Formats: sequence, C-alpha cells, structure tokens
Amino acid sequence: MYLYVYDESVQGQRFERELALIETRLTDLGISGKIARLALFRDAEELIKDEIRRGTQTVVAVGNDQTLRKVMDAVADPSVVIAIIPLGQGNNIAEILGVPQGVAACDVLSARLVEELDLGSVNGMRFLHMVTAEGVQPACTFEGNYTLRPDTRSSLMIRNLAQSADFGAANPTDGKLEFIMKTPRRSWLIKKIEAVTNVPFAHLQIRSDDLITLQVDGEKLEGNDFDIKVLPRQIRIVTGKDRKYV
Amino acid sequence: MAFGISTMAKHNGEETVIAHGVRVEGEFNSEGNVVIEGDVQGIIRTAGDLRIGDASKITADVTAANAVIAGEVRGNITIAGKLELLATSKIIGDVAAETISVMAGSQINGRITMDGTAGRKAMKREEPEPEVE
Repeated sequence: MYLYVYDESVQGQRFERELALIETRLTDLGISGKIARLALFRDAEELIKDEIRRGTQTVVAVGNDQTLRKVMDAVADPSVVIAIIPLGQGNNIAEILGVPQGVAACDVLSARLVEELDLGSVNGMRFLHMVTAEGVQPACTFEGNYTLRPDTRSSLMIRNLAQSADFGAANPTDGKLEFIMKTPRRSWLIKKIEAVTNVPFAHLQIRSDDLITLQVDGEKLEGNDFDIKVLPRQIRIVTGKDRKYV
Repeated sequence: MAFGISTMAKHNGEETVIAHGVRVEGEFNSEGNVVIEGDVQGIIRTAGDLRIGDASKITADVTAANAVIAGEVRGNITIAGKLELLATSKIIGDVAAETISVMAGSQINGRITMDGTAGRKAMKREEPEPEVE
C-alpha cells in the first residue's frame, strides 16, 4: 500500500497539470495509492503515523527536501519504505538519490530499487543530507579520544549523503559521517585561501563558548553543545540507477 | 622537494586530513591514511600511511604503516614499513622502521633502529587479540 504525501507547496495551480500526469502514470504502473495533502495546520506526523498503523508500507513525499524531511520525521518504523517524487525547487536530496523531477520519478518508484541508508543525529534530531555552520570556532571531540580546534573562525559541514566537486561524494552506507572544516588562511600571494580538514567519524561532540547555529538539513538548531552520531542503516529509501553517492 | 599544501590537500572520504591552522590534542587513532598539516599533541596511531607536512609541529609518539615526514616531530616514531624524512624534517626522538630514506637537510636527534621488528610489533598491537577458549 502506497501513501502519497503532497506538500502544501505543490498544491497550487502551478503543479496542477504535473500532478495529474503523475497520478495517471502511477495508475498505469499499478502503484497508485492514498493521497494525503499537507496544510498549514495539519500535523504531518500524526497523519502519516495513522496511515502506517492502517498498513501503509511505502510513504512517498511529493515535493522537495523539506517534504522528505517531514516524511522521515514521521516514519519511525524502519520496515516502511520512503520515496520521493520531486517537484519544484530545493530538491538536492532527490538529485543525489538519482530520482528525476516530476512524472519521470514514477518509473524510478515503480522499479523499487530500495537501499538501506545511514542517518545522522544531532542532539536526537535526525538528518539524511548534511549539517552546516558558518563562522564557528568550537572544540570538536571525536570518538571521545581526541579534540580538534581551529585557530580561527571556520565553516563546518557534517555530511552523510552528498555530492561535491570539491570534497567528493559522501557515502550514506559506510556507517560513518564526514566532518569537513574550512579554515581561512592568509597568504601574501593570494588574499584568502582555505585549508580543509576532513575526518570520517561515528561520534562527535561539539562544544563552544559562543552560541552556534547549525543548519540541519535546512532546519535551524541553536546551542553550545551538540552530540552528533551516525545511525547505521536507519531508513529504507527508493533510489534511482543514476544515484550519485557511490 | 617541498611538501606543500598542493600535494597534501588532496583527499577523499577514506582519508583523514588535519589542515594547517588546526590543533589536535589526545589519542588520535585511524584505520586509514592520514595527512597532517596542523599541530598534534598526544599520540598518533594509524593502520594506514601517514604524511606530515612541513608546517606541522607534532609532540606525540607516532605509529603508522608507512610515513613521509616534512615537519617537526618530538616523540618516538615507529613505522612498520618505509619512513621517508624530507629535507625540512626535524625529529627529536627515537626512530624505528624497516626502511628509512633521509634527504639532505633532515635533522634526527635520537636512536635509529632498523631491525624490522619494532614497527611490526607496534602494528600488531593495533589488532585485537584472538579469543581463546
């Protein structure tokens, strides 16, 4: 049984035609299901949990990264498969997973190439993609063994699933997260260059005297102390043949 | 040959890189290759290869499979295979390795052992003891 969760952002006239095409294609492929429409005051979590209790085995986010995040937060049962039909802007995760925009995603969904992926967790808040922070100078303790500190304010990224020309792909099936810190350096020849620190890890504690704002898959999380760890093989998600993380 | 950022900064997800401008304190353990351009105080131990850049200041005992050192190390160095000391390197401590290559200009203040056993013993200590019933 499939549940299709339509984000509020795709329910306007702009996506009316595309949604009609998607619904037709899903029927043709024999994978149509119940449609749940998210709205401002409708609790996505309760709605999705109710449907899982009624026997839904696949929950499909129709929208963008934020829609996928809402679905992921609601699906606690690892036996339930998650998928995305990307529509509109802000679909980085779908791109990395190899799921094309719009109606073409229906065929990827039908092929049902399901992968078990790691998640990351920051103070209990789960993420699939990455965590970022700018202009920070924290003490970062890895695996409880050693502490790393930058000499100057730096930017940091903690990646689980990512593609990047600069740092390569982050593999969400390796049981590790990837810590990347860019520390500015002064040079006489070039005004500003950045030195890059890169540490694969399973557990990281971040401590800072200053308040830090983390962007956790696009959501803000403020604090001075953060406990970050990998949650191996936590979700089952539909991916495309053209996925970019391996 | 200078051991600069251009060669040191290349990395992939399997490799640990500690950049210039970063200080590390504690017991630094790794399973893969390690590149250090920053400063480290404590212990460095890796089952893979180690490269220490010319700007690095290390105050630690160092154990690795193979190593290329261009910076300053204060501590004992134990390498299972080949150790290359580049012209800018300065070692204050004992060195044990199977093979050592020393470039002109490198400074070593310590005892050198090349019987091939110390490095292998150190790497063996990394592996968990098999359970005996």
